[in-house]
Amino acid sequence: MGHTDDIESLADEEVMHLVQEGNPRAFELLYERHGGPGFSLAYRMVGDRVVAEDISQEAFLSIWRSRHRYQPDRGSVRTWVLGIVHHRAIDALRRNLVHDRRRSSAEGIEERHEAPERERTDVVAARREDAQHVRSALGDLPHEQCRVIELAYFGGFSHSQIAEMLDMPIGTVKGRMRLGLEKLRKGLKEKVA
Amino acid sequence: MSVERHQMHEEDVGAYLLRALSDVEQRRFEAHLEGCVVCQDEVSRLRPAVHALPRSVHPMAPPRSLKAGLMAEVERDVREREEAAGVSRRSSPFARMRRRLGGVGSAFGGLRPTVAWVSASVVLLVGVVSGAAGLYALNDVTSGESTRSVVAKVDKTRVPFGSGSLAVRDGPQEGAVLQVHGMPELEDDSVYQLWVRRDGEVISQSLFHVGVDGDGAAAVTEDLQDVDEVMVTRESAGGAKAPSEKPVLSVKL
Repeated sequence: MGHTDDIESLADEEVMHLVQEGNPRAFELLYERHGGPGFSLAYRMVGDRVVAEDISQEAFLSIWRSRHRYQPDRGSVRTWVLGIVHHRAIDALRRNLVHDRRRSSAEGIEERHEAPERERTDVVAARREDAQHVRSALGDLPHEQCRVIELAYFGGFSHSQIAEMLDMPIGTVKGRMRLGLEKLRKGLKEKVA
Repeated sequence: MSVERHQMHEEDVGAYLLRALSDVEQRRFEAHLEGCVVCQDEVSRLRPAVHALPRSVHPMAPPRSLKAGLMAEVERDVREREEAAGVSRRSSPFARMRRRLGGVGSAFGGLRPTVAWVSASVVLLVGVVSGAAGLYALNDVTSGESTRSVVAKVDKTRVPFGSGSLAVRDGPQEGAVLQVHGMPELEDDSVYQLWVRRDGEVISQSLFHVGVDGDGAAAVTEDLQDVDEVMVTRESAGGAKAPSEKPVLSVKL
């Protein structure tokens, strides 16, 4: 299994290069590294393990079949993978595959399982710290800005649906989204600095 | 870019990045984005905040069955690709094109390849019946007629990974098929529409979708004589009477 060990020591971008060459073992490793975060994001959005599993499967198959579209200069592999999972989950939400409106809940998931990540301990620790930074920056946002961002990003709702739900003008919703993202950007910068 | 137009769109940046605009609004904003440096900067500035959002999610372990099912599909893909590579070395360009048309099941509503190919043939035949002069039926033709391929020009701003080519068959049974790759999948309420431009008049040809791999194909049903350009736009489901946007992909003839 020497070859496997060689692949496991590669950085994401190098693994992705092998995936682009059609190497299934490299794809398996890509899944092992990012399947957990992908599934977690899908579950956070749809609140149902079975639907989250379907979304993850669709998303990773799409990643495999459109592997040539990945461009390293446009962002990290993880951002690309999670972006595809997010798109798939929104598609599912908008196709009404999920009727449980709890998906819009800002409280998040009730059932939490720590996912064993197949990465070095220091990488996992850095990721946990990063996740804490993002949660903290989100928590620092004014409630109304955080709410519209979460409803849109994790709930898959359009700005007009959110406006109706919260009984506010569409312009206010759009403004809060923009302001919220601006504050989140600044907050993340400060926490990293 | 006028100040009024920019002001009309500047509040859309957040909703655009969060995917909270409707399809039509998203297209309008993307069209605006093409020519507005201020909005381009704003999108680049705020994008990292959106990319950070999934990192806030609490980790969960996916079921083991997910990986097993996924890898079974991937291994099957690899086998099919290897088999197809073996077959394509032994057959004509038009036979390969037919397989590709048949293989893009989702272009015909997720049909199995065989059914999709029958549907594609029906679409092509409709073109023939509706007055197109001598559209070929994509048989494995090995007669002396020549086939040429013209590379499409792609708007990389709107379809950054897209590419395409028009296979044109000259001679008495002339016709053409556009093949595209790396095109974004559209929402259910949208479709790609193929057009030809002849003497300044734009004429609709056919509607098509692309598969999850971004591949798709569509037939030009019009007599190609005097056609200046073949174009693709994104339209609402059911198609439009006239293009609603600049072509995302075009082939000059």
